[in-house]
Amino acid sequence: MKAAAFDYVKAKNLVEAIALLSEHGEDARLIAGGQTLLATLNLRLSEPSILIDITAVSELKGISVQGNMLRIGALVTHTEIEGSDLIAQHAPLLTEAAPHIAHRAIRNLGTWGGSLAYGDPAAEWPACSLALDAIMVIQGPGGIRKVSANDFFIDLYTTTLQADEILVASEIPLASSNQSHSFQELARRHGDYAAVGLAAVIRKEKGKVQTCRLAFFSVAAIPTMATKAQAFLEGKSIDAALIQQAVKLAREEIETLADITNSQETKTHLLGVLLERALTKMMP
Amino acid sequence: MKHKKQITMMLNGKQISADIEPRRHLVDFLREDLGLKGPHLGCEQGACGACTVRVNGQIVRGCLYLAVQADGATIETVEGLTEQGVLSDLQEAFLRHNALQCGFCTSGMLLAAAELIEHQPKSNREQIRQWISGNYCRCTGYHSIVNAIMEVLEARADGRKVKPVTAA
Amino acid sequence: MELNGEQFIAAPVSKVWLGLNDVTVLHASIPGCEEIERISEEEVRAKVMFKIGPVRARFSGRLVLSDIVPNASCSMAFEGSGGAAGFAKGKAKVELIGAEGGSLVRYSTEASIGGKLGQIGGRLISASAKKIADDFFLAFAKELGGDLNIVSDAKLEDKLE
Repeated sequence: MKAAAFDYVKAKNLVEAIALLSEHGEDARLIAGGQTLLATLNLRLSEPSILIDITAVSELKGISVQGNMLRIGALVTHTEIEGSDLIAQHAPLLTEAAPHIAHRAIRNLGTWGGSLAYGDPAAEWPACSLALDAIMVIQGPGGIRKVSANDFFIDLYTTTLQADEILVASEIPLASSNQSHSFQELARRHGDYAAVGLAAVIRKEKGKVQTCRLAFFSVAAIPTMATKAQAFLEGKSIDAALIQQAVKLAREEIETLADITNSQETKTHLLGVLLERALTKMMP
Repeated sequence: MKHKKQITMMLNGKQISADIEPRRHLVDFLREDLGLKGPHLGCEQGACGACTVRVNGQIVRGCLYLAVQADGATIETVEGLTEQGVLSDLQEAFLRHNALQCGFCTSGMLLAAAELIEHQPKSNREQIRQWISGNYCRCTGYHSIVNAIMEVLEARADGRKVKPVTAA
Repeated sequence: MELNGEQFIAAPVSKVWLGLNDVTVLHASIPGCEEIERISEEEVRAKVMFKIGPVRARFSGRLVLSDIVPNASCSMAFEGSGGAAGFAKGKAKVELIGAEGGSLVRYSTEASIGGKLGQIGGRLISASAKKIADDFFLAFAKELGGDLNIVSDAKLEDKLE
């Protein structure tokens, strides 16, 4: 099916992009990678009167280390993350997760910022940003603000981004030497929407868990952390018995939401399976 | 009536310009306006991969990319890449292994395979399958496609040329 | 798709009943409601813009009430067309029960979504319906001047046809 007609304008910089967004309001849609938006327009599930192309906005580009943080620009593509040496070094969780996103052709255009701004419950980057304790950098007519990933995803497809704001970048603490990670995703076929997923990051001190972040995706309306299981694991050495207890806690605390592929019970079961795999991998 | 845009792009090595509606997909522009029937339309949702073309050296879904976005870009279709000869060993291998029947997916399959060979030349069969999972084939059952790609990967690793199907 | 739930609202039953039948209150409560018009005592017509993720679909629909027991319960049948996006049809039963400090609104809904939205959106239709219901009650309670207290979360059942 073909999209309904729309106008198209390419913003030259961030200030112009924000001004255009304010000017056109609800009639406009931002286009970056367009991998979600264009599919939506093709199906006429949205009929904006104008697209604002932000792919030339340099302020949204690039991967760099700034002080003790890794900065990932909103326009960085999934493929760029997949192949980035900086990311492999400072946020290897993302390197492991990237190949799970859709397929190569989609990854070549789809962006970090787009995935976060939509906040699809089955998306990989929202959960990864939670696991990595990322900070979102947002700009609007009123200026710049920063929001922790913990406060960014509020409801189904709903983030704290206001209609006139643009996600500029994320800042992620550099991986420390005592940090290990595991990324797990179950999907019926490679590249399908996740049935259940887990982005896990652990820091250890003298063999004991110092901090633990377990972010599940495709289990509920938003990426969800197993806070009780996390608290339980802190200060302890991971062994097989501990893993079983953590799995039990995670299954009890997370209120799963069924979707078209799996019931609540299946999701609950599977999240425990993934947690077991992740913790086993991070045990040594 | 939404305003048409003037675009200029390098297409299969030639510079072309056109006035197009913003909503026109790249694949429709290539097929309908320029008569390049190599890329095909399947789902128009980005799932099937039949519309795969190369933009600035990377494969993209032609149905999830607007022609207006191609302004200033370098576009290559299976027609142009065939002329350049860069797909010849893959094409030979596809023929040898019967990796196509109706041919509808083949353009997309070749382009996806070419990117795999370039970026992940050490792939095993499982990794090939994962890579081409974004290209649907209704005829072959994929096995022969994986065989063909595997042959090219092995040949290149050995520094061999893939044998032509017909005598020169 | 089924959506069942119970919502406590800190307002007396009579006020809640009036609110549910007042098009001005409904206009302010239904997320994305652009227009709403009462056609008769039983029928209401509305235009609602649904915004879920990338989707922006404008639905034109009508709601028909039946089995009306004032200040107690009613049944409703609804149908809406979203143009190229798809269509929705369904029925609901709403009961009002007095409770300490306010009222309990008990609802059970059965709906089917067809067309593109049903095919593609099927993955998240239940979660979307729940969000719409939650957003509706939050706004509705504010309109009535009361506070919202969730007694039990909406229970969802996806039925694959």
